[in-house]
Amino acid sequence: MNNLNDVWRKRFTHYINELQKYMRYIFTGHMAIVIVFLLGAGGYQYSEWLKDAPKDFPTIWVVSIIMGIVLTFSKPVTLIKKPDEVYLLPLESKMNTYFNKVLNYTTMSQMLVAVVVYIVMWPMMRQVGEIEVTGILIGLAFTILLKWWNVHVEFMFRWATKGRFVWLDRIGRAILSGTFLFCLLHHESFLAIIVIFLLALYPVICKKKTMEQPFPYEPFVKLEENRMLGIYRFANYFTDVPAIHGSIKRRAYLDFVLKIIPKSKKTTFEYYLLRSFLRTDDHFYLWLRLTVITALVAAFANMPIIVGVVAAALSFATAIQLKQALSKSSDFTMSLLYPIKEGARPAAAIKIARYTLILQAIIVTLAGIGQPYFYIHGLIVLIVGELTLRMSK
Amino acid sequence: MSILELSGVTGGYTRKPVIHDLNFKLEAGELVGLVGLNGAGKSTAIKHIIGIMQEQKGEIRINGKTMQEDMDAYRSSFSYIPETPVLYDELTLKEHLELTAMAYGIDLQTMRERTAPLLREFRMEKRLNWFPAHFSKGMRQKVMIMCAFLVEPSLYIIDEPFLGLDPLAISLLLEQMDEKKKEGAAILMSTHVLATAEKHCDKILLLHNGYVRAFGTMDDLRQSFNMPDATLDDIYIAMTKEEEHE
Repeated sequence: MNNLNDVWRKRFTHYINELQKYMRYIFTGHMAIVIVFLLGAGGYQYSEWLKDAPKDFPTIWVVSIIMGIVLTFSKPVTLIKKPDEVYLLPLESKMNTYFNKVLNYTTMSQMLVAVVVYIVMWPMMRQVGEIEVTGILIGLAFTILLKWWNVHVEFMFRWATKGRFVWLDRIGRAILSGTFLFCLLHHESFLAIIVIFLLALYPVICKKKTMEQPFPYEPFVKLEENRMLGIYRFANYFTDVPAIHGSIKRRAYLDFVLKIIPKSKKTTFEYYLLRSFLRTDDHFYLWLRLTVITALVAAFANMPIIVGVVAAALSFATAIQLKQALSKSSDFTMSLLYPIKEGARPAAAIKIARYTLILQAIIVTLAGIGQPYFYIHGLIVLIVGELTLRMSK
Repeated sequence: MSILELSGVTGGYTRKPVIHDLNFKLEAGELVGLVGLNGAGKSTAIKHIIGIMQEQKGEIRINGKTMQEDMDAYRSSFSYIPETPVLYDELTLKEHLELTAMAYGIDLQTMRERTAPLLREFRMEKRLNWFPAHFSKGMRQKVMIMCAFLVEPSLYIIDEPFLGLDPLAISLLLEQMDEKKKEGAAILMSTHVLATAEKHCDKILLLHNGYVRAFGTMDDLRQSFNMPDATLDDIYIAMTKEEEHE
């Protein structure tokens, strides 16, 4: 039956397009700079550590535990949708074609992550653990096989239990996968035989259970919806995702800030936008994130030029994003009818964004105390922020 | 001087107009019911009056001024209650009232005096610090009503107020409207609840396919349709049948 193949192909294309769309935002947004910065710093620390790691460092243990955890998370990417509960029901017996595609894609996409993590630990295994290359290569081969095994077992387990007790299953599989790699790297043949036996038995039991019942659409639909929501939430850190509505929190502990705006006709939009800034998670955490990162860099990176570049980039990002977010709303709001002159809202948005930049500058200055030229960095935040507010559209 | 005056207003979303050559006036102390089928142009007419759509032809005056002549005066002269409540997710009920007062230049003490009775009768006093996310549709509508009435403008534009409100709130709203009329305000209310419209409105404006089909008191309408003793329902149905005969 070609039909279900087509269903999968269409959904898969749509899914990949969706991923690409958001990936673009992620790699062009300010967070990309931060991620590169963090990766670079992490890599540098790691290579420094490798140089003089203690000889008794339990390399094999660490590799087994990390890989056990990485391998066990094998959520299937089913691309199942709510209406499938109704429309695909008559095709139950033919669904295997579809699920094979699901499991293949899931295995391939997640294998990449496992392999990357394993390869990152390669230098440690060589230099600190002093494991020979063949041993590491065999470990890599079995990492790939174990990923395949984990994906299939997690899928069967979720089917068999209708999505319940997943954590129990994960802990079991983490232990099995980790122990198996441990046996491999540590040459424990006896233990290995027991683990192989369990690795073979586990899927057989699950398979038998799945044969007894129809495919449970509901938990899989929910899983898929949550997975997509997770992707959207993540992308929402970088851009506006229409599927996500910025959630609102009261944050009563910040009420004292509200007093800085007097209540008069002239300050109508400032009254509203300050509350909007403090209570909308998107706006508030955007500012908090950028401020904390700049402050951390100011406090710990002892190269004034780097700090200056980061402060300039992130204050630019703060200014432009807050200004745009506060200046207008796409929906109809009553404020469109207020007898207040045109342009009052954008002007108020700039004012509120300016207050947040002043606070950011103060925090960055305080965080950098003791570092060379620390007073310049706060100034950079102020100047770049102000220029951005004035010159951007 | 009429409170609201439309002369030759034609307009719509694209080149193709939705409303054609609307001519009518609302005088002080009048409650006018805006009645018509879905798609007759009621919402479009309201959008033109509140100024979020621009007329292609004709002009709209509130208290003698068009929006182009004096935007502040125009906008200060009316308040609007939309069919679907639009609230700010990040503001509490109390802050909605404060924001509205600030926007219309009403000092907060006056605002509190004006809203206190409504808050009490709508049973919303204890919810002053709540966010709209925790309100039902009826409660949201009550917030909109309070915001509209605290402004005390000369013109009220109310879009289908009777869906979602509980009977107690409906009678309270009608009472409020009555009071404002006595104080000299004009009210334009769009609705599908014809029995209520017939009972409470001074005049009915029948809109059909974007044209004013009839405008006047119930007696005027009966005369115009040549249907003595007819209810508004009868006239409404007769109007929709006219099209079939054409």
